[in-house]
Amino acid sequence: MSLHVPKSSFATGLVTALPIAMGYFPIAFSFGVAATRAGLTEVEAVGLSLIIYAGAAQFLALALITSGAPVLVAAFTLVAMNIRHVLYGPALMKRVGAGARRRYAWAWAFGLTDEVFGAALGALARGKVAFSEPFMFGLGLGAYAAWVSGTALGAFAGGAALEGWPVVDAALGFMLPALFLALLLSILSRAQLPAIAVAVLATVGVTLLWSGTAGILAGMVAGAVAGVLRFGGKRDAG
Amino acid sequence: MRAELLTLALILGAFTWAFRFFPTRADLSAMKPDGMLSRFLAATGPAAIATLFVASVLPMVQGAVSLPMGVGTVAVIAVYAVSRSVVGATLAGSAGYGAAFAMIGA
Repeated sequence: MSLHVPKSSFATGLVTALPIAMGYFPIAFSFGVAATRAGLTEVEAVGLSLIIYAGAAQFLALALITSGAPVLVAAFTLVAMNIRHVLYGPALMKRVGAGARRRYAWAWAFGLTDEVFGAALGALARGKVAFSEPFMFGLGLGAYAAWVSGTALGAFAGGAALEGWPVVDAALGFMLPALFLALLLSILSRAQLPAIAVAVLATVGVTLLWSGTAGILAGMVAGAVAGVLRFGGKRDAG
Repeated sequence: MRAELLTLALILGAFTWAFRFFPTRADLSAMKPDGMLSRFLAATGPAAIATLFVASVLPMVQGAVSLPMGVGTVAVIAVYAVSRSVVGATLAGSAGYGAAFAMIGA
């Protein structure tokens, strides 16, 4: 356990963030390219990364914006998608103990993405680091810097940057489905299979019968309702 | 920055920050594991991600799953099974898709 490890520093957090940063940078680059392709300016693309800082939601925001979805519908969809983040804080605090200092959690929690949460929890569980707020700032800032700088590079390279590189273009085009699939695997558990199955069926059915935006809303709502109805007595293991 | 885009970013950014921050302060010990809210929270994430995965691949499926998509999907699953890394699996899936795309000269 981390009880006998000295509190980890800001620099330790930055080092722990390195693998995340290496992964974030190309994904953010592809977001920057996709954003300018979708008609956003460079400033708008970087602004989304600066303010939202949630990769999958940002990609979906592009799809919703270009499909002409109303702002409130888009916001509802994207907020619903990010609600999973409410589980990270309690899980992290449970690991570090109720007495852990969290005076500046309002600031470092901004950077508590899926990967930062996973890296923090993993490093703490392995006893490699001991929780401290400077460590969380270092971890979060390393990942955030990679995300924003990758977006900026992709945005300023422009939507036409990859026209001469069709293979790279194709690979980056699959980045979003790959990210969603990996995220799904990371939270998959047997108890959640009914919700996932219902969400998939509802998305496909409503998309084919009506529209993509309606399919997304239907999938999320139907899946969540199925989870409430079917999960009785089972704990989420995801 | 367009007002509509800035509004969307601020709404989503504010909610995302709230989702990440407030639970670090809240005492959720009183929340029943099998209660309605607990079940809703547990189901919302997987349902949302599954929905978004399907929504993102549907436009790529033209009657049948292409070889690049199959290779990319298998690469994501394989790398995640070995490494448990979301970032690593994502990059592997993208690389697998690109490699298969190059091989068939699509």
